[in-house]
Amino acid sequence: MTRTMVVAFLALCSLPVLAIDPAPLLPDPVQQARYVDLIHQLRCLQCQGETVADTQAMFAKDIRRQVREMVQAGKSDHEVRQYMVDRYGKIILLRPESAWLWLAPALFLLGGIAIAWRVLRQRRALLATDTSEVGDEPEQS
Amino acid sequence: MNRFIIPLLVFGLLVVVFGISLKHAPEKQVVKSALIGKPAPEFSLPDLLQPGATVNSAAFKGRWVLVNVWATWCVECRAEHPTLLDIKQQGKVIIVGLNYQDKDADARQWLAELGNPYEAVAVDREGRASIDYGVYGAPENFLVNPAGVIVHKTWGLTPDYWRTTMLPLIEGTTK
Repeated sequence: MTRTMVVAFLALCSLPVLAIDPAPLLPDPVQQARYVDLIHQLRCLQCQGETVADTQAMFAKDIRRQVREMVQAGKSDHEVRQYMVDRYGKIILLRPESAWLWLAPALFLLGGIAIAWRVLRQRRALLATDTSEVGDEPEQS
Repeated sequence: MNRFIIPLLVFGLLVVVFGISLKHAPEKQVVKSALIGKPAPEFSLPDLLQPGATVNSAAFKGRWVLVNVWATWCVECRAEHPTLLDIKQQGKVIIVGLNYQDKDADARQWLAELGNPYEAVAVDREGRASIDYGVYGAPENFLVNPAGVIVHKTWGLTPDYWRTTMLPLIEGTTK
């Protein structure tokens, strides 16, 4: 019973792997990997919300073919993305190339840690000097 | 009192940040063309109506050109067609068709039935020229000035839109 369940579960897990892209693999596995990575980074403008890798829309097919050819021609990932942005605008990128956007969560986390550390230290200092104020919020120094 | 100030400041900051991002958020359906103000991409494609000939975009320089992306599978294109015929009648621009991912026979029949507003129709069977134009559907319309620069892009044309938005662009510079 358990075994059947596990097999069924694993089989279901494999569904997302079903290939949309009927094109044959590129002969160079490194290029193939880059191609797959790139088409997952581009938005299908005909069916917004999906990547170009996930749909059979005509637009997506054209873009996939273009990406394949550019990868095979030795273009860098950046060149491929730039090519698309030049024609379709930034909206075609699903991963915005903005450093601030990616740094922001880390900065907020560091900021939060710094604040928590200061508050905790103040609270501990207060506790050490005056035990009668336990439970009160420490005043800002 | 003091301890409310920081959360309030943070909240205010968030309101500002979200407000700005909302303003700049791309509209869901309408993708603004990245090509406005840029030279119209060149193409050299088979001619739909003269087998063996090519349609060369360079041949239209010096005139106002409406590049119209269309296909027979596109229902909106059928709705748009009378407007195109009307624009041709007015004679302010020449209309160059870019037949997008279509079948030649179907496209020829369409023009025979509905009338031909086009100066020439280029066949973009593989959609390469359409990628250069940032096309992701049909219809799409690009207004190209005599210098070969794209000054406006829109989707389906209506007589109203043509008269109020696109015609002034042409007449403004021809005065």
